[in-house]
Amino acid sequence: MAIDVARIDQVDRSIPARTPGERARRVITYAILLAVSALFFVPFVWTISTSLKSLPETTGFDLLPDNPSLRAYREVLTEFDFLRYAANSLFLAVTITLANLILCSIGGYAFARLRFPGREVLFMLVLATLMIPDQLRLVPVFVMLSGWGLVGSFKGYMLIKLVLATNLFFMRQYFLTIPRDFEEAAKLDNAGHFKTFWKVMLPLTGPALAAITILTFQGIWNEFFWPLLLLGFGDPSHYTVQLGIAQFRFQYQTLWPQLMAASVIAIVPIVVIFLFFQRYFVAGVVASGVKG
Amino acid sequence: MAATAPRQQGTLGSARLREALVGYAFIAVPMGIFLTFFIYPLVYSLYISRYDWGVFGKIETLGWENYREMWHDEIFWRSIKNTLLYTVVVVPVEMALALSLAVIVNAGIRGKSFFRSSFYFPSLASSAAITAIAIYILSADGLLNAVVGGQRSWFGDSDTALWSIAGLNAWTTSGTMMLFYLAALQAIPTDVYEAAAMDGAKTWRTFSRITFPLLKPGHFFVSVVAVIGALQVFDQAFIVSNGSGGPNYSTLTAVLYLYRTAIADVRFGYAATIGIALFLLIFTLTLIQRLLFGKAETA
Repeated sequence: MAIDVARIDQVDRSIPARTPGERARRVITYAILLAVSALFFVPFVWTISTSLKSLPETTGFDLLPDNPSLRAYREVLTEFDFLRYAANSLFLAVTITLANLILCSIGGYAFARLRFPGREVLFMLVLATLMIPDQLRLVPVFVMLSGWGLVGSFKGYMLIKLVLATNLFFMRQYFLTIPRDFEEAAKLDNAGHFKTFWKVMLPLTGPALAAITILTFQGIWNEFFWPLLLLGFGDPSHYTVQLGIAQFRFQYQTLWPQLMAASVIAIVPIVVIFLFFQRYFVAGVVASGVKG
Repeated sequence: MAATAPRQQGTLGSARLREALVGYAFIAVPMGIFLTFFIYPLVYSLYISRYDWGVFGKIETLGWENYREMWHDEIFWRSIKNTLLYTVVVVPVEMALALSLAVIVNAGIRGKSFFRSSFYFPSLASSAAITAIAIYILSADGLLNAVVGGQRSWFGDSDTALWSIAGLNAWTTSGTMMLFYLAALQAIPTDVYEAAAMDGAKTWRTFSRITFPLLKPGHFFVSVVAVIGALQVFDQAFIVSNGSGGPNYSTLTAVLYLYRTAIADVRFGYAATIGIALFLLIFTLTLIQRLLFGKAETA
């Protein structure tokens, strides 16, 4: 599923020896490309640079801080409670990702392989939920959860994110691509449905599980809208990192080094995961469509 | 859909029943969640919209009064206007940027995975973090003004606030959209290009006459995703305006107004009405896109 562009390159290579004009064009192309990618990185480099400065120094525009220090990070993590916010975000992202891995693989398997009346209709229903925007659900879901006393606690947020339709869809599609021979062997052994799923099918879905893990973790870690609604009131001890950033910005307007340090803390975990699992990101984003 | 697997005779009936029961058990939790938090809210929202509904529930039956109020609510229309203007500006910019990046990365260049990763990089960052960074860079004494001159606070000025959000989001989403376009580019058969090369077609001509039209399913998919995303813009508007939609309503998007009505004003009945209107708007625009693009299959 990774994007493979080698085929199109071949057209390029079939063109005979390059003229000087063509070579010049190549140099210009690369120069522009590097400039464009620099443009994509400058804000982040600037962010890191600022996070290492002292507040008075932020009035200047030196890229390198005079006395780089981690003070802003220390303050943000302790005084401004971002250590707790990061722990909250991590807890939510990990538990919700685990729940999705379990429930979506089991559910995806049932939709792909088990036969039961109403299967197609129920699956259409799952797809239909993808077309219901969060905004329509804001009021009813908020009213329901607050009626159950679940606003302001992790439980309410975890409940509505327990199963994401894109993940279920993704797993079902993946199970459909697995040849039937694998299960036939299990059937001959008289294995039950759960055993077939667990021992035979699930081990074959590694790449799909990896994509779901990464995209769900990223989605929950980065999410702003629902955490704001369900955790953004009263007790700041339930804030996520993203809510912490918004709150910090409201309260302390221009404490730039600290705000930038908080932003770095919010971005770094996802970047690290991206660097290690790039190909799953690409495959997952393309396959699941409307993520993020 | 799936072919029926051959089965042993005799125990057929009970095996079938067991398979069905296991099937229902396997999907029970997901279906419960979807019914409770997706399907039921559709109906519940309509119900709530017919009441004056406060923090402790129903206050008074209003019938269609909330809908009438919305029709005459200037601030609501202002938020719709902001959202539509934003969408009209940001979607073409996003698409053009994403397509350019995809074509560049897809061309026979060295280090394409490096460039692909660089372009995708902003898509990784959370909306809150990237908005905080943008606020800093676009502040009155920020980096942007140091480069272009002037003293404008880009998010603090009602002439530029919404467009600054558009610029920010065009930049951060272009990476994801680029991946969609890359997938679409890859789906174009190679022999089409070979034929064009044989005819001696120039690069631009090949692109405008062959690649661009063949990307129709890609355009459709990317534009749907971009339009839906743009109509729902919220996080950035919320953070730059401290949740107010200011200055002077300039960043009051439809979803932000919905949020304010529900959470700040605690008027759930009216907020539900706005939610329904927004859903219909998104739905209609998606349908129109589908008609415009003909029967282009979704990616």
